[in-house]
Amino acid sequence: MRTRTNTTAILANAILFLLLLMPFTLRAEGASEYIAIRKQGSGRIAIALDKTMAKGGQEVQWASSVDATIKGGLDFTGLFNLLQAPANMHDAQGGALNFTALNSVGAEIYTGGTMTRQAGKAALDMEVYDALSGKQMMKRSYSGDEKQLRSMGLRFCADLVELLTGKRPQLFDSRIVYVSKRSGISISDFDGQNVEHITSGRQISMNPALSPDGNYLAWTDFTSGRSDLYIRNLATKTTVAVGKPGVSIAPCWRNGSDEVAVTLSFEGDHEIYLVKPNGTISRRLTNSRGIDVSPTFSPDGSKMAFVSQRSGPPQIFIQDLQGGGARRLTFSGSYNTQPSWSPAGDKIAYSSAQKNGEINIFTINTDGSGLLQLTGGSKYNESPSWSPDGSMIVFMSTRSGGRRLFMMNADGTNQRPMALGDGEQQQPSWIKGR
Amino acid sequence: MSNMNYLGRAICVPALFMLGACCCDKDIVSPVAPPNTAAGQKTATASAAAAASVLTPNIYFDFDRSDITEASQAELKANAAWMAANPTSKVMLEGHCDERGTSEYNMALGERRASAAREYLVRLGVDPARMQTISYGEERPVDPGHNEAAWAKNRRVQFVGK
Repeated sequence: MRTRTNTTAILANAILFLLLLMPFTLRAEGASEYIAIRKQGSGRIAIALDKTMAKGGQEVQWASSVDATIKGGLDFTGLFNLLQAPANMHDAQGGALNFTALNSVGAEIYTGGTMTRQAGKAALDMEVYDALSGKQMMKRSYSGDEKQLRSMGLRFCADLVELLTGKRPQLFDSRIVYVSKRSGISISDFDGQNVEHITSGRQISMNPALSPDGNYLAWTDFTSGRSDLYIRNLATKTTVAVGKPGVSIAPCWRNGSDEVAVTLSFEGDHEIYLVKPNGTISRRLTNSRGIDVSPTFSPDGSKMAFVSQRSGPPQIFIQDLQGGGARRLTFSGSYNTQPSWSPAGDKIAYSSAQKNGEINIFTINTDGSGLLQLTGGSKYNESPSWSPDGSMIVFMSTRSGGRRLFMMNADGTNQRPMALGDGEQQQPSWIKGR
Repeated sequence: MSNMNYLGRAICVPALFMLGACCCDKDIVSPVAPPNTAAGQKTATASAAAAASVLTPNIYFDFDRSDITEASQAELKANAAWMAANPTSKVMLEGHCDERGTSEYNMALGERRASAAREYLVRLGVDPARMQTISYGEERPVDPGHNEAAWAKNRRVQFVGK
């Protein structure tokens, strides 16, 4: 990790930190006892996941499927330390919980449940206990048919995270849209499960972008023999092509609108335009000689960050769309591209080609302070995209050979590969659930 | 118009002229054996001018640059002469980049390279209507390697006869 700060920035960060801390502490006092206690500690929550109890062949199968989903889902958040449940967790006779045994392995939280079959459907009853006090914190039931076992397990994960953090997580119904070299544009669940292919992969397809309402998918497609912007209505499965001469590059939907920004060159230079879902051009956003590319928008859609050659090699600029010029954001490094605006609006993640031959991901505050390097020593790291809650970043890395998708926490910790199938993947974009 | 057509013709068109006189241009990538038609033979041997100015298949660029290098100027002049000697020919100028940098930016850079080559040829008197440009960014490398030797080959404008 490498930071570039000055005295002002340190002071500003310190004040910001205190400001952030204050309402947090105040809120904790009013919230549940558990959250208040957690604030004093740090690190991951030590949790004992009990095997879901079930009787009957099918029920046991369902239970083990749900257990795997819950384990994977909770692990994915990075919030938990998943403990091996102690053998003497239950009293031998009655099956009551033995909290002394749980405490002895350091468990703070216990979860367990039963799976039964009711009218042909799976019924999951889950309980959560504070292992220290022995108090029950949550008891909730989930039901559905066999195909809904995964969503039942993920709903429990979401309920548990909300219980323990006070915030409803957006993770478990979020999805990743990306390009598979073999299969074309694809969408998977947050954890790489349930992959759906949108294009065939026979032609070059690039930079898929889903609209904020989830209704439209825009991407660059070479099916016509050259690059064109395609916009598909996912409900009606109809696709329109913008059909302008020249290139169509890197679409990004403007937040708070139904328009997509894209670089087109039909007027002779590479400029960013807003395009409507029907494929007609709404207006031009940039007017500067040289390449303008890779737009990303502030959460309210009022500002756009983008890559421009206007000062020489590519750098990131921010432009107010209500008028006013563009201001340069990045000054460190001589090749900064692929900006991605954080959901909270305070930071921009981007990739920077460095002198040592690596490409690395950085974040920077929108005022230019707080530069933070998130990757290093791992070849090319590109295309950062924030999770909907801003806690994680998905990106492409060549650290293990080919181009594969990875995830990390927003501070660069816990970098790990996404569990996707074989083949190379790139250009991920993390999108909210429906 | 499909890419297969461009590719097929890319191999055939220069090859026709190399049949008659394929003496000494080291920059030419040896094409696959072309269909050996009588017409092809005749065209090739009949045109000494064409033989002297075989269509150079690639010109190369510096990293993150789209300006025509001095070495490329001579090759573009030769290509302009080839087009003058072959007045019915049309070419596709494909702009390509190396894998460094990012796919989006490289799509734009590839187009700027192709446009720069096209403009240079227009200044040399080639009819713009005979040239089309396309950018493949970094998506179609000729050398899949991850070193400067490979990158240098991939930063190119490729001339494809139509």
